[in-house]
Amino acid sequence: MPIILNATIAAYFLAVAIPLYAQKPPEAVDLSLFPAQAIDDVLVPVPSEIFIVLDKLGNPNWRSELRDSLGRQSGNRAQVALLLGTVIAEGFVAVEAEDPEKVKDIGRRVLTLSKAINVEKAVLERSKSITDKAEVKDWISVRKEFDGALQDVKAAMQELGDDDLAQLVSVGGWIRGTEVLTSIIRKNYTSDSAELLHQPALVNFFTKKLDNLSNKRLAEDDLVERIRKLLAAITPLIGNGEGEVIPSENVTRIHKMTRDTVAAISSKGA
Amino acid sequence: MKKALVFLMALLIGATSWAYVDDALSFAYEAASPYVKKGFNVREDAWGGDLGVKDQQAVQAQLFKGNEYWFCLGTDVKGAVLSVSVYDSKGNIVNVETTRAGRLSAVRVEPQRTGTYYAIVTVHKSPQERTGWALVYAYK
Repeated sequence: MPIILNATIAAYFLAVAIPLYAQKPPEAVDLSLFPAQAIDDVLVPVPSEIFIVLDKLGNPNWRSELRDSLGRQSGNRAQVALLLGTVIAEGFVAVEAEDPEKVKDIGRRVLTLSKAINVEKAVLERSKSITDKAEVKDWISVRKEFDGALQDVKAAMQELGDDDLAQLVSVGGWIRGTEVLTSIIRKNYTSDSAELLHQPALVNFFTKKLDNLSNKRLAEDDLVERIRKLLAAITPLIGNGEGEVIPSENVTRIHKMTRDTVAAISSKGA
Repeated sequence: MKKALVFLMALLIGATSWAYVDDALSFAYEAASPYVKKGFNVREDAWGGDLGVKDQQAVQAQLFKGNEYWFCLGTDVKGAVLSVSVYDSKGNIVNVETTRAGRLSAVRVEPQRTGTYYAIVTVHKSPQERTGWALVYAYK
C-alpha cells in the first residue's frame, strides 16, 4: 500500500509540477571542464537495453540464440566470475525467447556459480524470484530480477573486497551480450542495427578495469589476458565517431571473436 | 589507540555517506515510479554521491538509438533543488522533456545516435553544505 501511495504521489507531482526552480539548462557544455574521475565510470547497460531495440528493428529468433549448455565451472575464480556474467546475460536472452524452463535453469545456475565464489546469500532470494516469476511468465519482472541479481552479486563481491571479480562478471556479461547482438545483426544486416555496436566508452571502461586489476593472480589469468586482447581488437571495429557506419564485415569479425571467447570461458573446466 | 579512533571515524563517516545515498536512492526510484506504469524498465544499478551548492557532476552513460530513457534524480535533503540534464559526446543538450518536484527531478531522452552521453547533476540550492543525490535511469 505505501508503495502504491508513493507511486501515486510521485506520478501526480511529476505530472503537474510547475518547475520550482525554473532555470533553463545550458544548450551546450564543455565536457573537458569536468574532472576526469567524475566521468570515468560508466554504468554497464544490461543486454535487454540493446535487445529491445533489436525487437523494434525486426523480429529476431531469440530461441535460436540460446545456448544448449551454460558451460562448466573450474576452481578458477576468474573463470567462474566470467562464466557467471555470461550465464546472467543468457538469462536476458531466455527472457526475450520467453522460455520459462530455460529461465528457471539459468536461475538455478546463477545460484550454483554464486556459491562457488561465496556470494550465494546475495542471490538466494533473486534466484527463487526468477523461478517463481518465470513460472507465471511475468517477463518484465524476470528481466528486473536478472538485473538485480547482477547488481547483488557485484555488490556482495565488493563487500568481500573482490572488486576485481565484480568487474569480471560485468565483462563476461557484456561479451556474451555482444555475441548475441552480432549474431542477430549479421543475419539481417542494416546500418541502424550495426550502430548498436558503437560502444567506445564501455570498451574503454572495461579495458581500463582489466589493465588495473589489483589482484595479481587475476591480472595474470590466461582468460583475462585473452579478454584484454579481445577488447583491443574490437576497439577499431566499432566506429570512431558517432553515426559512422559499422560495416557488415566488422560485425562478423566481432561475432567470431566474442563467440570464441565465450566458448573459452565456458569450457575452461572441461 | 589513535589508529583505532581514525578507523572508527572512517567507519562512521562511511556509514553516514552510505545512509544518505541510500535515502537519495529511494527518492530517485520514487521519481522513476510513474514511468514503470508506462512500460519503462528501471535499472537496478545507480549513480550517487554528494555535492556542494552550485557544484556539478557528470556521469557517463551508453545509450542506444531506438530506446527512450528517463533519468531520474533524487535527494535526501529537504528544501534542496537539484536538476539533471543530458548531453551528447559533443556537449550538446539532448533533453526532450524535464519534470521537477521537490526532491525529485527527471529528464526524458530519445537518443538520435547510439553512443556515449553525459548526465550532468547540478545542486542549485540546498540548506546543507553537502547534498546527497542518486540517479537511476529507466528505458523502453
